[in-house]
Amino acid sequence: MSRLEIDELERKWLSVSLAMIGLFVGAIVVTAVSQGVHPPSHVETIDSASLHLSQEFAEDKLGVQPTPLADGSLQVRLVAGRYGFYPREIEVPAGRRIVFRMASMDVLHGAHIPMTNMSTMIVPGYVSEVVSVFPKPGEYPMLCNEYCGLGHDHMWSKVTVIAQENWREPATGGKQP
Amino acid sequence: MKAILLVATGMMFVAGVDAAPSTQVAWTPATLDFVEKGDAGRGKALSAPCAGCHDGTGTNPSLSGQLPTYLYRQLQDYKNGNRQDPTTIMNTMASALRDQDMADLAAWYGQQAPMRGAGGASDATGIAGRGEGRRMEPPCSSCHGGAGQGEKVDTPRLAGQSAAYLEATLLAYKSGQRANDIYSRMRLIAAKLSDAEIRQLADYYSRLK
Repeated sequence: MSRLEIDELERKWLSVSLAMIGLFVGAIVVTAVSQGVHPPSHVETIDSASLHLSQEFAEDKLGVQPTPLADGSLQVRLVAGRYGFYPREIEVPAGRRIVFRMASMDVLHGAHIPMTNMSTMIVPGYVSEVVSVFPKPGEYPMLCNEYCGLGHDHMWSKVTVIAQENWREPATGGKQP
Repeated sequence: MKAILLVATGMMFVAGVDAAPSTQVAWTPATLDFVEKGDAGRGKALSAPCAGCHDGTGTNPSLSGQLPTYLYRQLQDYKNGNRQDPTTIMNTMASALRDQDMADLAAWYGQQAPMRGAGGASDATGIAGRGEGRRMEPPCSSCHGGAGQGEKVDTPRLAGQSAAYLEATLLAYKSGQRANDIYSRMRLIAAKLSDAEIRQLADYYSRLK
């Protein structure tokens, strides 16, 4: 009859690693509860197949919206589709709160503007909303960072951040250049 | 002259306020299912008037082996006025069709052996295979397939298509005369191509087998 034999050293390391796992899981649970971190809720759904027939993402309603939101921030509506973000080129003012609302017309995409904190996943069937402020004027690419098909590496659009003093509100939303 | 200007400005204003969508067709599961269940046998009977013009010559496109989803949407767009045939013949023909007729015709043409080119294709522009990042041009093949065979949901087959038709179509997208591509996707791509590149791309895809 063989007895399960655990060396003293093994037993020590076993308890150390178990204690570490307990510590990390505990840290996640405590921060999640105390800071109110939780998975996304109140998700907004939309029919990706008929985006172009919807009110919000109709072809002439895209881009920087002419009317600012109640808190003064600008709303930008974009559609992600293979292979680009439409409208392909947008202009936004620096130093202002920009609310991006985005939807996919086909498959899973991601939107990311390098050197900024603007980044989100765009899941078909859902509206992605992300808020960002761009402090520095300049030209930025908006890249897709979720593999979406053969043209994925060509999927990017241009975001031009304009100094506040040179910014003029667009007259109509959604004009593609 | 003044009156014409006024009317034109008025029309631009109306278009700016509430532009119609580029197509009424949305590929919901129900629509996809409807097109998939098209009756090719009925489509064959209905196709007799089509064959007079779509005979594989001239600027009329070849329909054989084209994606049924693409054919169905074009017929709908012709009927709804989202795609304008300069000769208006296709708008008249499509206006007489019911949804079921369109699905049947699409099924019949989709079943045919696909059109094939003569071979000897070479992509002189480099755009078909590689695209061009500097101009924000994705490669044609990323949507239309590596062999120009067309891809889901309704990106059409280009391989073996008539060069004259392909050239005319790209030029129509470039000028905006054809505008039934959702979110201007093809218009934005074609607008950045030179007329010479359009001719080379049309030649390339017409030669693919």
